[in-house]
Amino acid sequence: MKVARRFSVSRVMIGIFLTLVAIVSLFPFFWMLIGTTLNPNAVVSGSVIPGKEFALNWSKAVKNYNLPVYFLNSLKIAVLTVLLGVLANSLAAFGFEKYRSKAREKVFSVFMLSLMMPQIALVIPLFKLMSSMKLLNTHAAIILPALMSPFIIFFMRQNFQMFPTEIMEAARIDGAGEMYIFFRIVAPSMKASFVSAGIYMFLSQWNSYLWPLMTILSEEKKTLPIAISSMMKAYTIEYGAVMIIVCISIIPVIVLYLAMQKEFVSGLLGSVKG
Amino acid sequence: MILYAVFNVYPILSSLNMVTRKWQGMRSTFVGLGNFARMLKDTIFWRSLGHNFLIMGIQIPVMIMLALILAALLNEVKHGRGPLRTIFFLPCVTSLVAYSVLFRMLFQTNGLLNNLLIRLDLIQSPIGWLNDPNWAKATIMIALTWRWTGYNMVFFIVGMQNINNEIYEAAEVDGASRMQQFFRMTIPLLRPVILFSVVTSITGTMQLLDEPNVLTWEGGPANATMTAALYIYRQAFVLNSDFGYAATLSYIVVLITAGFAFVQMRLLGRRDQ
Repeated sequence: MKVARRFSVSRVMIGIFLTLVAIVSLFPFFWMLIGTTLNPNAVVSGSVIPGKEFALNWSKAVKNYNLPVYFLNSLKIAVLTVLLGVLANSLAAFGFEKYRSKAREKVFSVFMLSLMMPQIALVIPLFKLMSSMKLLNTHAAIILPALMSPFIIFFMRQNFQMFPTEIMEAARIDGAGEMYIFFRIVAPSMKASFVSAGIYMFLSQWNSYLWPLMTILSEEKKTLPIAISSMMKAYTIEYGAVMIIVCISIIPVIVLYLAMQKEFVSGLLGSVKG
Repeated sequence: MILYAVFNVYPILSSLNMVTRKWQGMRSTFVGLGNFARMLKDTIFWRSLGHNFLIMGIQIPVMIMLALILAALLNEVKHGRGPLRTIFFLPCVTSLVAYSVLFRMLFQTNGLLNNLLIRLDLIQSPIGWLNDPNWAKATIMIALTWRWTGYNMVFFIVGMQNINNEIYEAAEVDGASRMQQFFRMTIPLLRPVILFSVVTSITGTMQLLDEPNVLTWEGGPANATMTAALYIYRQAFVLNSDFGYAATLSYIVVLITAGFAFVQMRLLGRRDQ
């Protein structure tokens, strides 16, 4: 009897603790939504009662802050990165996994080594390279370096390991070309891995800050994160409108996460075998 | 045919990877001993690096512990496990800049958090979350913990599910309490996963840049939250566009990161044997 009661008390405690953590996790998102309806002063003083200025904030975000431009820039860059990047990385990973060559493991370990490189050490030489290629202040400067991701190559290679080589051999005997094998036989059966890789690339590009901040100077080419940070630098800040833009930069990712949770988590956790 | 494919695939890969490789040639022209001498005397840089280590020393243990507890509790509960996991993981998908801005608002001196704490009678006067050098560091740590705990928790959940249930049953029979099971069995068995999390967090903290730039405003107040990466960035792109010096400093960050990675490999390797 006594044991049973203590057990349920600890159950309740666990429940309360978890609920508290959940509230702390969610509260900033919740408040972000309230913030879009407040006037600037109420945002700073942290009002939790929704205001009535959503329409005004929205029009400020669109007119004063060029919200649609930033949004489309971010979207264009992220989508292009995903499409080209997943293709290039999965081909590379496929090559690493399924084709024999003497240098294979050596090249692969060089790749893995570059995985450990801190970003800050790469951006300076990369900046020099981009300026010598006359690509500064273009979207290409943001997309190109993001295309090749050692992490995605590693992740895809792990996944290709599970694909039976016998099937490829059978297809070769039937006269299928290597590209045909990759696109028609391997890729369709590994959709989930491709989606995970795509989500990971989308997320890191959509959220990337430091590199776009360095390369993009002109207003009409900015992405959402740099636009937000430069808004915060202005002398007068329309906080309500900033909150809307913050929302716009967070909500698509949340929707994507909720819709494809499984692929999303496996994409982020990647290398860890479940 | 195989060779053809190899030559087909490798060029794609190597041409794209030029982007990350070519810099090695360019770097050499900039590094001189003068930069190293300057670095040794640069107190702000060493202080910034110290901040990185301070944040590591305090924030990572707290976060890992919290993540472990959450993972253990989530494995206990029967209802709502899925939704809770989703909620706890949610913070880490948000953009660094967006959540930094959000936290900047919440942590204003007359902002929501202070109002709440005063209302609850936990503090008498507002805390200068963003203005006081020590509180500003705390703010960064709180923000980091908010964002990354759920991420690490998911690793631990996966790790815990891989632990064979029978050993818990055996422990139960031997009369081990839940607490004992957690500290004596779960944590030691999760060692590789925990180690992985710690090293990922360390490399992440070494590169910490967005939060001090946006949340506590360019490493402020008075460089109290300046981190090594942010300092390097500011040397190269904001203050005096000194690429050579910035590259020299980034060497140190690379060396430290590589050092941690090496330690990780040694530790993991020893376990495997």
